Amino acid sequence: MKCVALVTGAGRGLGRILATFLAGQGHDIVITARTSAELHDVAQSLEGTGVRVVAIPGDITDPMHRTRLLQQTRMIGGLGLLVNNASDLGEIPRPELAIASLERFRVTLETNLVAPLALIQEALPQLERTRGLVVNISSDASKGGYERWGIYGSSKAALDLASKTLAAELKPRHISVVSVDPGDMRTRMHQDAFPGEDISDRPLPEVTVPFWAWLINQDPERITGMRYHAQGAMWVIPA
Amino acid sequence: MGDSSLNRSELLFDRPTELFASQPPETRGHDRDDVRLMVSTPEGDTHHAFTDLPQLLESGDLLVVNESATIPASLRANSRLGEILLNLSTRFADDLWLAEPRWSASRPGPLPLNEQERLDIGKATAVLLYRYPGIPRLWFVRLGTPASVLMAKYGEPIHYGYAPAYPMANYQTLFSRFPGSVEMPSAARPITSRVRDSLISHGIGIVGVILHAGVSSLEIEDDAVEHQPLFPESFRVPDATAQAVNATHARGGRVIAVGTTVVRSLETAWASNGVRACSGATGLYIHPGNSVHVIDGLLTGLHDPVTSHLAMLSAIAGLHRVRKAYAEAIQNRYLWHEFGDSHLLWRQSAN
Repeated sequence: MKCVALVTGAGRGLGRILATFLAGQGHDIVITARTSAELHDVAQSLEGTGVRVVAIPGDITDPMHRTRLLQQTRMIGGLGLLVNNASDLGEIPRPELAIASLERFRVTLETNLVAPLALIQEALPQLERTRGLVVNISSDASKGGYERWGIYGSSKAALDLASKTLAAELKPRHISVVSVDPGDMRTRMHQDAFPGEDISDRPLPEVTVPFWAWLINQDPERITGMRYHAQGAMWVIPA
Repeated sequence: MGDSSLNRSELLFDRPTELFASQPPETRGHDRDDVRLMVSTPEGDTHHAFTDLPQLLESGDLLVVNESATIPASLRANSRLGEILLNLSTRFADDLWLAEPRWSASRPGPLPLNEQERLDIGKATAVLLYRYPGIPRLWFVRLGTPASVLMAKYGEPIHYGYAPAYPMANYQTLFSRFPGSVEMPSAARPITSRVRDSLISHGIGIVGVILHAGVSSLEIEDDAVEHQPLFPESFRVPDATAQAVNATHARGGRVIAVGTTVVRSLETAWASNGVRACSGATGLYIHPGNSVHVIDGLLTGLHDPVTSHLAMLSAIAGLHRVRKAYAEAIQNRYLWHEFGDSHLLWRQSAN
């Protein structure tokens, strides 16, 4: 029996690929995204895979929505893999920090940092039973200090630190947490980040499938606390 | 070390097909160590018998071997296209493998297959899931029966057009301990117990890493050699090996990788202050654009033109020296491939 997975931001891009991959590997999944039409399109494409796919549109910053998602995962067997993928890029075009809207910054932090932590907190009883794995999707913007990436980048840097801290704190409860930088990909978010620019040289999010195939077949407790590059040349487990 | 960018054409060379070793020396009535050994240093190339290896090294040097054993990963399969070969390459899970469908041992793909197509292997089935991103001849496949069962029942060793399939024992080395490679890590093949004993009595250490080798080096298709995509292979560098490598360097000894898989394992395990014990998956591609940090020498076979192995050799010794050594090997009629002759390539002057 493969564990139940929850993927946020599953309507398109990386989240869609992840949901498709996990369903293909025999995981029952709960998927969510704000855009209902896209989410149902994903669910429809997974009919015939033989696994249970529950699609619940909504916003992960809404506590009621988070509770609904986790009720579903509990009902279909208990959450074993939580992928916090939904992310907010922030203002477009990306502003310099000196002039960034603080209101809008709070919205980004709510989606990229607070909501993932809230999902983790609420999922702990299920994750404890399944000795589950949390995957927080990060970005190289979290390390870069690139101009105009301060809002998104700092939210992801904070998420990275939360991942690492949670990994240490949750180790005694056998819950594992990793952070994954998927690398540049040809997605809507990436296009939004570079409005009007040609991003056709970036690979499609399918490029990360080998990494997910590797990751979900590792013993979570041996990789907890690690940060991986999905498109990197190596995925190392410390001794 | 050399130019950082290498062009595909620079790794091209002509080598007569009669220089393909199609038979293991032991089936020709020789000992495994009865092969030749070319030694390449910045000063030039010299020719030796493989059994001279202990005398060519120094007390305090360290050989690092790959302890992965070869498994019979070539499976005959029935498909919509008729009978084909499914060569398993890399294990992700019992039921999830990266594999290469081929027309036959001598005829590669890519085959015109589609996602969700089924292959029948005896009474078992395999389903093609998706192509490997960037390497269209490799597929993720889901096996209805565990690979170990399929291989025990139907598997043959992977072999190519230049050699038939021999019994599995011909694909193991003295150090094969952990099953998982689909192609023999062949560099240690000529190391017989007498060569090993002589190495040890000369004060040369031998330690192991594990890297389960997948289907072999794909031809580099992009003009810019550094753009070659590699798929990840499972590896492990044990603590004792990491310590032995670091201690050898601290003493001023040299670390010699026995095979390109060992170079990749050790370079993957390299951190700024030495080698650390670790495991995982590595698709590290070593070419002149990225440096070699750990190894001082490489004992290996002779590799095909335009392969990632040659890019690695160029990263170690520079393209000019590699081309010169290969011209020398051809002129002296060295034998290529896993049953062929050996080559010890030093980064710097040997003495």
